Amino acid sequence: MMNSAMRATASVTQEQTTDRAPRPRRGPLAGIRVADFCWMGVGSVATRLLADFGAEVIKIEDRIRIDTPRRLPIYKGEPARNFGEELVDADPNRGGLFNNYSRNKLGVTVNLRTERGRALVERLIVASSVVSENFAPGVMERWGLTYDRLRELSPDVIYARMSGYGHSGPHAHYRSYGPVVQAVSGLSYTSGLPGREPSGWGLSYMDNQAAYYNSTALLMAIYHRMRTGEGTEIDVSAIEAGINLVGPVLLDVTVNGHTTRRPDFPPGNRLEWPHAAPHGVYPTLGDDRWIAIAVFDQAQWASLVEVMGAPDWADDPRFADQEARYAHQDALDGHLAEWTAEHDRFELTELLQNRGVPAGAVQDAEDLNERDPQVAARGVFFEMDHPVIGPARFEGNPMLFSSVAQDDWRSAPLLGEDNAYVFQQVLGLADDEYDELAAEGVI
Amino acid sequence: MLDGTGPDGPRLFDHLKVVELAGDPSGEVVGKVLAQLGADVVKVEPPGGAPSRAVGPFAHGQVDEDHSLNFWFYNTNKRSVVVDHSTPDGRAALRRLLAGADVCITTLRPAEAAAAGLTVEQLRAASERLIVVSVTPFGLTGPWADRVSSDLVALALGSPLNSCGYDDHSIPPIRPGGDQGYQSAASFAQMGLMLALVEREQTGQGQVVDVGMHDCLAVGAELANPYWFYPKVIVHRQTCRHAQPTPTQPAIFRCGDDRWVYFVIFVAEQKGWQSLVEWLDSHDLAVDLVQPEYDDPTYRQQHFGHVQEVVETFFLLQTADQAYREGQARGLAIGPINSPDDLLADEHLQARGFFAEVEHADVPPALYPGVPFRFSAFDAVGLQRAPNLGEHTAEVLGAEADER
Repeated sequence: MMNSAMRATASVTQEQTTDRAPRPRRGPLAGIRVADFCWMGVGSVATRLLADFGAEVIKIEDRIRIDTPRRLPIYKGEPARNFGEELVDADPNRGGLFNNYSRNKLGVTVNLRTERGRALVERLIVASSVVSENFAPGVMERWGLTYDRLRELSPDVIYARMSGYGHSGPHAHYRSYGPVVQAVSGLSYTSGLPGREPSGWGLSYMDNQAAYYNSTALLMAIYHRMRTGEGTEIDVSAIEAGINLVGPVLLDVTVNGHTTRRPDFPPGNRLEWPHAAPHGVYPTLGDDRWIAIAVFDQAQWASLVEVMGAPDWADDPRFADQEARYAHQDALDGHLAEWTAEHDRFELTELLQNRGVPAGAVQDAEDLNERDPQVAARGVFFEMDHPVIGPARFEGNPMLFSSVAQDDWRSAPLLGEDNAYVFQQVLGLADDEYDELAAEGVI
Repeated sequence: MLDGTGPDGPRLFDHLKVVELAGDPSGEVVGKVLAQLGADVVKVEPPGGAPSRAVGPFAHGQVDEDHSLNFWFYNTNKRSVVVDHSTPDGRAALRRLLAGADVCITTLRPAEAAAAGLTVEQLRAASERLIVVSVTPFGLTGPWADRVSSDLVALALGSPLNSCGYDDHSIPPIRPGGDQGYQSAASFAQMGLMLALVEREQTGQGQVVDVGMHDCLAVGAELANPYWFYPKVIVHRQTCRHAQPTPTQPAIFRCGDDRWVYFVIFVAEQKGWQSLVEWLDSHDLAVDLVQPEYDDPTYRQQHFGHVQEVVETFFLLQTADQAYREGQARGLAIGPINSPDDLLADEHLQARGFFAEVEHADVPPALYPGVPFRFSAFDAVGLQRAPNLGEHTAEVLGAEADER
């Protein structure tokens, strides 16, 4: 039985050049080996940070159940496909999202449905000091991989468990992904215009944020172990992270007893605290082009009025100070939108920023990548080559350090690319045993 | 449930002293997390208080520096010290605090920092071991470093806003609620700080971590960049579901109790489809979806309008909670669009002891969300209310004077 994934790997292994061979890593996490069971967006992003800063992250994959980011049809040189429109028999090595999420990691394949596969990952855990996973609760247990068992295999192990609901409680087994987490945690309800359905989120914000919280928790555990020699189990619930992101409105409910189920909530683009006005997103020249403008004080208002050429309407007593403008935002926004609609969003951004008015064009990915001078100057994106995809861009880590650097050594692993390195060089499997496991479909 | 080591156990950060010069959530959240895990976080404020104290809503309508719920939310478990940095005594006091600190968190923009004599280099000079975490709208370098921003402006320039809003594009993109621009910056600042702490364990040296909110949001739109990196297409906003290259079907449904649920009908997926039809059928509301022609994904796709109508009707006859429990019991990823009010009654969060009651100085206690990390090896500190302005000035500067 040879599926398309195996064929692809076989052909690429022959072409594989030595510069993709694993090398010693640099960075604060060098020397830490991670047996990484994470998959999907949230798990992959969580362990990406470790791989970027020197840890040897060994991504454990299943040839039968291919990781979703490998399958989403985000392909170079092909027409636009929505992410639900997956191709039948898609090449798992062409997925752009996977490349972005799993760069700097090693990739191995193991069939955990087999006894020999389970024995193999136990050997990998013995050789590792961190284990990470984001399966539904119960999956790791089904393979016998409890924290107690992991400690037998690797005494000071860090066991990072990431899930939507956390590993206890009556809904621990509930299924979720980014948008469900956003709905359940309150982040969708608090986003939208008053008096209509929520607009919520046009992205899996909580795949990103939960990943960041999980990266942080992993680093906390590593720091603790460096100081004390002690490992730990970690339980991070994406929903609990999400509720922490809802913000001060939660205290308006719990301290003041105010309900958010009221006709004037949520406030859309207006800002209730502090009473900023104008505060909104206004049309500009072009199709579906917009600019955000946020005025917090009288000086910013005076500058805005000057940039507009001091129109008569701005003298209206209804717009005399912040409180008056806040109280008359419908009229204010109407006047402002008439003015912005006649201008280019980038020209307006320059004019307003030059006078100290917080304003910015609503940029899309093309704007960020092809014209944003700040993103370019700070090196937010970077490139690496990939044997199937070719040269490709990546989203970097947006922190600049004075004495730590991201260690980019390779684009994302092809499916099973590092089987020989990990199972033979790291774990010391003999040639005949390795060949047998491959022939049996264990790896 | 991971119970950690209990109230008297060791804390992750009980050896860390932190000086916080932060006026917005991008820095305050970082200090809050450190404090919740045991660090001594001293928030150094000007005589009038940090700007975040002036942001409402306010507790029981008391509009003053000690009743901002914005400040309360982002500053739990910290101590507050007032230092007038315009005076020689104030500058000396801050220097002494920094000399004994492990971490300094600052949200001063480059121009402000230069004017105040508090640039990252000046802060960093306090000691070899000091880690300075700077979180600013655009970072410390680049042509936009001194531009002004806000949560809304940052989300616009950084691009997540381009993906959020309604199907109707005569409505502008809509800012997601909360302070998510600042929160995104805070998350990267937190990760950067942890990497710097790990590095310091090995070298004994501190360093500067420079985080720009704009950069954080530029990598914060999930699929939008990969869609540009690879097929070179732009995603377009849709109501409460992923922005995509081309329009997709609605994913929120109104329920009989006027609440909403998020649910995607994956017509292409056989198992999920069967679970959905069985669920509808258990309420005698599957109509013709039980017919054999609907076993074919292509047929389902061709008749999606009808499928959508049947499902819309079904949800109108359920409450959101009922739909949540029953759908999840059938293995479907469905979630109610909870309001903040709804969260307090959630049985799962209650079983995990997530919300914790916090005592206040002069208003009744209230529930706060708990720490979003659980470890078996150590616990969080019990949640303590945010400090009043200058509440610990004498205690901190006095103790530190005694040490000299």
